[in-house]
Amino acid sequence: MNIAHKDVSEILVDCRSVWKIFGTRAAAAIEAVETRGLSKKDILKEFNCVVGVSDANLQVRRGEIFCIMGLSGSGKSTLIRLLNRLIEPSLGTVMVKGKDVASLDAAALRDMRARNIGMVFQSVALLPYRTVLENAAFGLEVRGVAKDERNKVARAALDKVGLSDWTERYPSELSGGMQQRVGLARALAADPEIILMDEPFSALDPLIRRQLQDEFRQLTKSLGKSAVFITHDLEEAIRIGDRIAIMKDGVIVQIGNAEEIVTKPADDYVADFVAGISRIHLVKAHSIMQPVAAYRGDINALPRAAPEADISALIELTMQSEHDAIAVVDNGAVIGVVTTRDLLRGVAA
Amino acid sequence: MDMSTLPDTFDSAIDDALSWISDNGEGLFDFIRAILEGTYDGVLWLLQLLPFYGIAAIAAVFGWRLVGLRFGIAAGVALVVCALMGLWGETMGTLALVVTATVLALAAGIPLGIAAGFLTTLDRILQPVLDLIQTLPPYIYLLPAIALMGFGPATALIATVIVAMPPAIRLTALGMRMTPREFIELGQASGLTGWQMFSKIRLPFALPSIMAGINQSLMMAFGMVVIAGIVGSGGLGETIYGSVRTLDIATSINAAIAIVILTMVLDRLTQSAGKGGKA
Ligand SMILES: Nc1ncnc2c1ncn2[C@@H]1O[C@H](COP(=O)(O)OP(=O)(O)O)[C@@H](O)[C@H]1O
Ligand SMILES: [Mg+2]
Repeated sequence: MNIAHKDVSEILVDCRSVWKIFGTRAAAAIEAVETRGLSKKDILKEFNCVVGVSDANLQVRRGEIFCIMGLSGSGKSTLIRLLNRLIEPSLGTVMVKGKDVASLDAAALRDMRARNIGMVFQSVALLPYRTVLENAAFGLEVRGVAKDERNKVARAALDKVGLSDWTERYPSELSGGMQQRVGLARALAADPEIILMDEPFSALDPLIRRQLQDEFRQLTKSLGKSAVFITHDLEEAIRIGDRIAIMKDGVIVQIGNAEEIVTKPADDYVADFVAGISRIHLVKAHSIMQPVAAYRGDINALPRAAPEADISALIELTMQSEHDAIAVVDNGAVIGVVTTRDLLRGVAA
Repeated sequence: MDMSTLPDTFDSAIDDALSWISDNGEGLFDFIRAILEGTYDGVLWLLQLLPFYGIAAIAAVFGWRLVGLRFGIAAGVALVVCALMGLWGETMGTLALVVTATVLALAAGIPLGIAAGFLTTLDRILQPVLDLIQTLPPYIYLLPAIALMGFGPATALIATVIVAMPPAIRLTALGMRMTPREFIELGQASGLTGWQMFSKIRLPFALPSIMAGINQSLMMAFGMVVIAGIVGSGGLGETIYGSVRTLDIATSINAAIAIVILTMVLDRLTQSAGKGGKA
């Protein structure tokens, strides 16, 4: 798929002040939210309703992998299901490709799900009575694509995930990692612009998981797809996501790229997650450098690095030179200096 | 009021009611009877197209493919034994009766079960009715049938259909409700229409349960067909009934053996057909 002509800043999914409240008295609870601004705890106490998602705002751009991270029960699955209207929002709007999904009639909604938004589940949900190929072709089959054509497309999708030798097998014959690859191939075969992934790799072994994370990112980027990817593992979110939203009790507490989340956690909850994350690949030269004036030596003698160089690369450079600092150069001009002290602070902070 | 005349009063009331029904519904009952007997005759005619060794060979091949070689051979040999006992015609008569009744029971029971799987109200109405049908002794159903249809295969068929229908309804409805949640979600997220959700997701998941229902219906039908010998069903049931009355124990035992053979062959075949999906 050629994405060169497409506007990469185009917003594909736009969630505006979206709420989901579960329970028999959800309507009354919503009214209380609107008029009195009650909290999740108050709503549970007063209305016996569970707040799944509370005032969520997020935008997913074309070509972007957007991760949603949070503990179990924080509302991730609810939020992702609001995007393709598997769950109706109690309040707020969800726009997909500029259209309010609440305004779609049944046929238009089916069409959007079949063509624009694919979904991959943690449970994989491969149909046990169908072969791998038939599973991968499922989305096209329900759209009425002829058998030869859909099998061709499904084969190509299975090829992309490295399963071309397994087309005639049944799901039960495959390992967990392979099954999840079929789930991904099934979503890809329908060629949607947006893929929703609800903790697809959470049940897999760490090694397989790592492998699938890298494959998924590569594949999504090379096909120019956008993805919303849910995980409860911040490391996974950092590995896969362009941007990450952190959820707590139904609230998105922070949205940012990996470096922003790790270096500037919005609150203690995020800070706790971040604590165990290695920073040497996340923190970049531009965020730890000092102004040029602060360095007393000869700047022109220093080794040079780009503002986007990470700490690991800067350490490497420092080890190879006899100087105690690195000049950060952007467009030929020195914009700052990173000293050994700055490096240590960047790793430790 | 004189209590001793009460039973007579009651009897004549029932008699009146039945003769009113059969007088006023005569056309209807004749029509039903014609359809039932027509179907039965058709099935019997089909079964008699082949000689006994032809049917035995077919059973052997199906048994081999669906169950295993040993069972296939045993099924073929067992059916030949039925013929050697001189009961081939009766065996086919019973088979025709069972097949006809089961097909009719399924034709009504499976759609009803599907509907009950989706509509909880219908399910709530059906449950006590099915419970009642399965609680009462099966020969009860012969009585109204014989009053309205008279002696013969049509009466046996009606009673057999009634007895065979409950398992098909119950297990079909159960199967419809057994679809795992994640697959319903898959269907919704893939943009399936209601019909696609039914045919591509719910039905395949329900199939093992529906097949179990078919097997149970068949077994109920076999049970009833022997009892229905009393009302002139034809086939082995009537043979047993007749020979027991004349104390012809040998014949009645032979007929019983033939029934056991037929039941076991069909039971195993339908059971494995149910399991023999690709999954
Ligand atoms: N259908 C539902 N009815 C009632 N409560 C629900 C429902 N679905 C989710 N919840 C509640 O909403 C909250 C968020 O759930 P979920 O979105 O599944 O979280 P996560 O995917 O992050 O683990 C939880 O407290 C959960 O119990
Ligand atoms: Mg979840």
